[in-house]
Amino acid sequence: MGALERLLAGLVGDTIARIVLGVVFIMGFLTFNVLFLIWLERKVAGHIQRRLGPMEVGPHGTLQTVADMLKLLSKELFTPVAADRWTYLLAPILVFMPTLCVASLIPVGDGVPFAQMPYGLIVITALSGLTVISIFMAGWSSNNKYAVLGGLRSVAQVVAYEIPVLLSALSVVLIAQSLDLRQIVDGQRVPYVLLEPLAAVIFFIGITAETNRAPFDIPEAESELVGGFHTEYSGMRFAMFFFAEYTNMLVLGALGATLFLGGWRGPLLPGWVWIIGKAYAVILLMMWARWTFPRLRFDQLMSFAWKLLIPLAVVNLVATALVLGFVA
Amino acid sequence: MNAVLRVVRGLRSLLVGLGITGRHAVRAVVTLQYPHQTPDVSRWGGPIELVTFPETGTHDCIACNACARICPSDCFDIEGKRPEGAKKMRATKFLLDFSTCSLCGLCIDVCPTDTLQYSRRYDEAAYRRVQTVNDLLGPFGEDPYLAGKLK
Repeated sequence: MGALERLLAGLVGDTIARIVLGVVFIMGFLTFNVLFLIWLERKVAGHIQRRLGPMEVGPHGTLQTVADMLKLLSKELFTPVAADRWTYLLAPILVFMPTLCVASLIPVGDGVPFAQMPYGLIVITALSGLTVISIFMAGWSSNNKYAVLGGLRSVAQVVAYEIPVLLSALSVVLIAQSLDLRQIVDGQRVPYVLLEPLAAVIFFIGITAETNRAPFDIPEAESELVGGFHTEYSGMRFAMFFFAEYTNMLVLGALGATLFLGGWRGPLLPGWVWIIGKAYAVILLMMWARWTFPRLRFDQLMSFAWKLLIPLAVVNLVATALVLGFVA
Repeated sequence: MNAVLRVVRGLRSLLVGLGITGRHAVRAVVTLQYPHQTPDVSRWGGPIELVTFPETGTHDCIACNACARICPSDCFDIEGKRPEGAKKMRATKFLLDFSTCSLCGLCIDVCPTDTLQYSRRYDEAAYRRVQTVNDLLGPFGEDPYLAGKLK
């Protein structure tokens, strides 16, 4: 990285060289990550159902997702005649942008950060909330009743589940006395999951819902909505939604690892190994949950968020504040 | 209080569910990697075939048509010929229309020379209906009795 950065810096200047290298590196890693996660998902699903999952392409099917991606790349891109053309074309591109921004904001070690903000946590939650807008764009512009329903459900769901996610993240902020993710990690002598177990559980449920994953996958419920918001998308445009979903999983998993599991802190191994390992542990738990629990009904989903998670998160936040104010 | 109990019970049921799927995830796989591994077919009753007897190296069909008469689906089309100087007939044509066969096994029970059996074939497939008619004499080639090699 160092030599390459110097070479580029000589050509286009310091700041741009850094941004280009950072974006290329992050995009490369995210692409690899998506291919790996889809393979892992199929393997987890297989073993939970006592099958082996993909086995044919490459050793233990590791190249299966590469083959799938090549297939999707070569497929025809359909645009429905009645679609709102520009919105329809923009949605799969936009769905990916916020996740890319968020991915660059997660600290992966003590070294020089690629991008850092004193209010990182707020920026991350704001940006990851943006994904839902492109999902709704996709659903609305497809001009298909299933897609619209999927988009509507997605908005309602993300709006409902952003609140408990934020509230539980706030209780961590109260302890760490900072919104900067680096300072939150630096402050964790013990992982905050031990101090804030309830917040960690609420956060985990919230990010599962925010990434539209089972048991909260009603926006794309295959059995009722034939794929929901991405019904009308084909080929690589559909793959972009897939890409965004799995990248979102990694980013939110890494955020959870940063807030509750001590981020890059850990013995022996370098920091980036720890943060990625912890993020993958969170993702593995999400996959495990997906292949265990049935999908919730829409009203159950809403009452679960508004009547249980949000009050619990508020109580937890207030209790944290009281303990910090009067005891500690 | 009731609500709290319900939440706790619900949470517990979720953990139980995770435990069940987790246990299954580490247990042995029950599926076969099909083209690489083939199933145990020792108790499988596939399409009817003629028995090859080790003493003669061929079947013992005498074209008595007992199977054709008892067959509820009229699958068989058998013709026979008597070798010169022999008492028993030999089959010269033995067709079985597998598309109408229900694998009931009556032909196997009724065969006086016990020369019919279930095969172990489990992957029968065809593109056209005529291909489902099995020529049961096909694998045997020239009949040694009719050729005069066996008496």
